[in-house]
Amino acid sequence: MSDERDLLIARVRETLRADPAAAPEPRAVAQVLQAVWQSPRPSLWQRAVEAWRGAAVTPARATGLAAVALLLGFVTRGVVVEPAAPAVAARPAGSSAFPAQRVADVADGLVQTQFVYDGKAESVSLVGDFNDWQGGVTPLDRLETGVWTVTVPLPPGRHVYAFLIDGTLVVADPRAPKSGDADYGQEGSVVMVFAR
Amino acid sequence: MNMHRRVPTLVALVLASVSAAPLLAQGTSVLPIADVKTRSAVQREIARAESKGLPTQPLVAKAMEGVTKQATGEQIRDAVSSLAKRLEQARALLAPSPSAAEVASGADALRAGVPAPMVKKIRAAWPADQSVVMPLDVMTELVARGIPASRALERLTSLMAKGATPSQIAALGSSVQSDVAAGLAPDAALEVRARGVMSLLNSPAAGASLAPTGQRPPR
Repeated sequence: MSDERDLLIARVRETLRADPAAAPEPRAVAQVLQAVWQSPRPSLWQRAVEAWRGAAVTPARATGLAAVALLLGFVTRGVVVEPAAPAVAARPAGSSAFPAQRVADVADGLVQTQFVYDGKAESVSLVGDFNDWQGGVTPLDRLETGVWTVTVPLPPGRHVYAFLIDGTLVVADPRAPKSGDADYGQEGSVVMVFAR
Repeated sequence: MNMHRRVPTLVALVLASVSAAPLLAQGTSVLPIADVKTRSAVQREIARAESKGLPTQPLVAKAMEGVTKQATGEQIRDAVSSLAKRLEQARALLAPSPSAAEVASGADALRAGVPAPMVKKIRAAWPADQSVVMPLDVMTELVARGIPASRALERLTSLMAKGATPSQIAALGSSVQSDVAAGLAPDAALEVRARGVMSLLNSPAAGASLAPTGQRPPR
């Protein structure tokens, strides 16, 4: 959903840029962006209701409704166990839509945060202020697509990190902004972690 | 007689154990710094911070960052020493009883170029019973993105005064970060995003009235 909103915001921005004559007031732009950001996406339930609304009741639909009711009954009895879904589905390597990191959910005040590295390496590990910059402590897994990824629980706030390639080479995340903190002549990357 | 000789030795051993305990607890005894001079200097700095009641984890992390980045011993000593000073300064600015995380965030803000009085103002503008980590981190991020500290402080404190939540403050920082990465000027990004949050705070109903209706507005 965040990707869709980002795309929508990008389109709004492009439209405004492409039409200088429109020259909207900054407040109007803020309201449009905020409305896009805040607009709730119809839930699965709402969409299902919309789909059924106004439709003729056929035997097939009645059977479907009965099946849904039965399934709900099982769920409420605790018979059906929902399998844990991955935080983010894998996408092809090199896809521009692949996020550098994404906030997934919150538990015990920590936010599950995904990191992605798309480059050639024998091994990749995540180093940052959250793991005392210790290489090898947080290794990334290599997907079949060749992309490396790991999801770690982080406390909300601003974190500086980098990738340790093959145990020796420290590289910043090319998809994330630089930290601006170069005590050792080499900037890290920044991720802002917060619960949405 | 023998007993008398052993007493000073036992006392010395006990004292050594007691003084080394905090370091062992912090894991500093296993800091993988090859240079003995640097390792000793870092351990002394950490012990000093410990004795002052300052958080030591940021110092360990800073030293380890240097090790991972293959920095020289001198660079590591300087970085750790500078951070220790910032931690002490941050704790004073965030008085009376900042948490370890708040002190670390304050030190990061100072490192990013946030003037000390502004760190104090952010603490004062935020409810005393709430962690000021997020406002400090967002301030750090805004300044790191190239926004003048005075402008960032003005916008942040305005939002705080209106009752912005930590999530709204964090979303502001994250949005500005994304906007700047997308090519928007830092000042413009802050202006737009801050106004967006402010419009919500001024009128909660405004958000609902702006919700898409599914109909395209007339041109």
